[in-house]
Amino acid sequence: MSGPDADTREPDVVVVGAGGDAPALAWRLGQQGIDVLMLEAGPFHGNERFPNPHAERGEGASRSPADLSGDLLDEQFTAREGDMGSPVDGKLRWGPADADRAPWARTVPQTGVISQVAGVGGTTLHYYGNHPRAFVPAINDQPHWPLDYGDLVPYYQYLEDVHPVKPAPTTPKAELFYEGARRAGYDLTTGLNVEEEGYRPFPNAILQPDEALQGEYDGDFRDLSGDTLAAHEHQGGPHPRGADFERRAKRGSLVSLVPKALDTGHVEIRPNAFATQVLTRAGPGPLEACGVEYRDTWTGRARRVFADVVVLSAGCIETPRLWLNSGLPDDGWVGRGLTTHHFDFVSGRFDADTLEEIIGQRAVEPHQGQAAGSRLDVPGAGGIAVNTFAPGITAASMYSESVNGFAFENDTSGEPWDTEGRVVGQQLKDEMSDYRRTLTLICHTDDRPRQDNGVSLDPSTEDEHGPIARLDWSPHPEDDERRLDLARRSARLLEEAGAEHIHRSAAAPIFLHMQSSMAIGKVLDTGGEALSADRLFVADHSALANGVGGANPTHTGQALALRTAEHLADRYFDGVADPIPADPTPASADD
Amino acid sequence: MSYARGTIAALVDAVVPGTPGAEGVQADGALDIDLDETVETAFNELQEAPEGPVRSLGYETMPFAPVLALLLDIGALELVLRREREESLRSPKDAYAGGPFSRLGPEDRMRAVRLLEADGLFPALDERYPDVPFGIVAYLMQGAMFITAMAAYSDWGDDTERPQGWRQADYPGPAEGYAVHMGYEVEEFVENDYGGGDGAEEDDTDDGATAMAADGGDDSDPEAWFDDRSRSADEAGDAEGGADR
Repeated sequence: MSGPDADTREPDVVVVGAGGDAPALAWRLGQQGIDVLMLEAGPFHGNERFPNPHAERGEGASRSPADLSGDLLDEQFTAREGDMGSPVDGKLRWGPADADRAPWARTVPQTGVISQVAGVGGTTLHYYGNHPRAFVPAINDQPHWPLDYGDLVPYYQYLEDVHPVKPAPTTPKAELFYEGARRAGYDLTTGLNVEEEGYRPFPNAILQPDEALQGEYDGDFRDLSGDTLAAHEHQGGPHPRGADFERRAKRGSLVSLVPKALDTGHVEIRPNAFATQVLTRAGPGPLEACGVEYRDTWTGRARRVFADVVVLSAGCIETPRLWLNSGLPDDGWVGRGLTTHHFDFVSGRFDADTLEEIIGQRAVEPHQGQAAGSRLDVPGAGGIAVNTFAPGITAASMYSESVNGFAFENDTSGEPWDTEGRVVGQQLKDEMSDYRRTLTLICHTDDRPRQDNGVSLDPSTEDEHGPIARLDWSPHPEDDERRLDLARRSARLLEEAGAEHIHRSAAAPIFLHMQSSMAIGKVLDTGGEALSADRLFVADHSALANGVGGANPTHTGQALALRTAEHLADRYFDGVADPIPADPTPASADD
Repeated sequence: MSYARGTIAALVDAVVPGTPGAEGVQADGALDIDLDETVETAFNELQEAPEGPVRSLGYETMPFAPVLALLLDIGALELVLRREREESLRSPKDAYAGGPFSRLGPEDRMRAVRLLEADGLFPALDERYPDVPFGIVAYLMQGAMFITAMAAYSDWGDDTERPQGWRQADYPGPAEGYAVHMGYEVEEFVENDYGGGDGAEEDDTDDGATAMAADGGDDSDPEAWFDDRSRSADEAGDAEGGADR
């Protein structure tokens, strides 16, 4: 039996995944003239080479920014909740591009929901554009990072400039949150480097809205530039419709970094390509990676591509799965140490008169304005943010996800909330009929890495890509305490803002923010290269050493990917002509 | 009506019931939009069948809907046997199947779900036999609740312009934008100093020009409040930890 065909083209670097972080790395490598091939398991939206990405395979790969099409994005991204976001058959799901097929399997032997997206842009396809930096003490004071916070700052600055990242605009629901925060005694934070408690607008990678939206406006929003405040981040957020591909307001990797990467002329992206093996050879010294075997998700055909360097950017679940399925060495930390920000949700329902008094309108209108535009930082415990959704996701995340049973049988006396747990029946109908007078907050807990938590293989269950990943995660009692602290602060803020009814979900695990399952300092050296194999790097959120304090992880993931790209170029190519930090810190393999 | 569909009907009807006394669209429930079918279809398309016995029987995807129905009946039976039922048994509605889950009152159906995922036989087996992934039962239950709620209040399974759940929430549907821009609480963030004991600067003292002043809040003393809160948080933390386990 002969093995899979080898690609005739041999890129310098092959990258597994073109999700949230990998395009940052590919762009940086492309800038140095290094040829990069990205293999993405899911579809490529808004690309003329894949005009019907969920119905037919299209052409093999894309390497030109001219392939990118805003018109196609408008056609594909309908902004409807189920059509875009159903985790079973939505366009933004963890599964093959082919809509006739089911999602890919994971074994999750516990309560919880995974919310990951396959496709170019990855989970930034449905993220909310939130780009806070890590909390300073999470890097400098917690024991996990072999880097200093200061090592990341130049990369943060670079991304803040290019996406760009700006303070979110005030909208009525943000003003309601701010007023609650002020009345609860918090100060406004204006600095990017956060060490102290305080409230602030979210640093968001969303283009600032058009000034026309500050007054009476009755146009069709196609004449505007920047954010239209349509709140469709979770549904892919293609606004403003009619704009050029690269000028869409929400700066997910698909519209922000991918065009820049393609523009270098050195990056090729092959969607529908699921990597199944990292190929290695025994070198004169340690094990060396030399390529990747992948499978076309439409044709089933397996191929091999050889390269000087392999980068794994398949995310916190699939990167360790691929590693383990490839038989790469595991000293006990591969896939382990997963952090998830141990989410919670707290909502407040307001009466119309109270709202009129505080924000001058008789409803919160959660569906208007950026989905997440204001936040409260609590370094040491995590963060609290306004997190608003269309009704379906509201009902699912806010009212159907709990580890504390059902609201109808939970006693909340002595608690700062009126109800807790899952809400069903008449109570759910009441909550949802008040959707427009409800403000929903999310708590992102600073949960800490533990070796018990993470990803392993489920040897009893195989799909066409090999044994599937098994996910086990449970909070430490200290994580629960931090979460409870955040939930109480959320309730206090809502109460101060005048909420008449407060609900806490006590959420079951939502695997959306995932970090640190292939951590730098454990599995990787400080340059992002594997400690146990040469020419093998990891550049996704799994490389983060912890949960960055509970700040949304994308900014740090992309910053680290840029930094890893520079170390990769230094070690195996001709270096970086224009290093981002004026005085780069040398990476060490000795950590 | 199949066994799977009818048992799932008893689930979705408990989560979003029809409430005939309510006005207009608020009277309708999950069964008015055939949510039992949507959830059944979703469960049967949740995951491709792995290589092995299920696929060799001709299934391309895992038949999880009948598994869900069977589990719900097991949970109902356990609730009855434990004598934890709090509502009277009743004849199943026409849309329901005939198993024990379909005969429970709506809150008891939720108690059966809780047994399956947290307090009952399967979680106990999961503790006792950690090598067998019994926890998948809890995952399926959470999935059933999540999918039911999301589909009830979105266009999942309903291609009409404004599905029932959106109308019940008074959500107008996708929009091109909203003119709700109220300016900026902070015009630009500043690259503040950090990390440094006595060298650290207060954000709002560096130049003051870039940030609008905070409103100042009221007279409450945040420190006193946090001290007070952290004490009660400790107490409640113990209670929550106990409930989680």
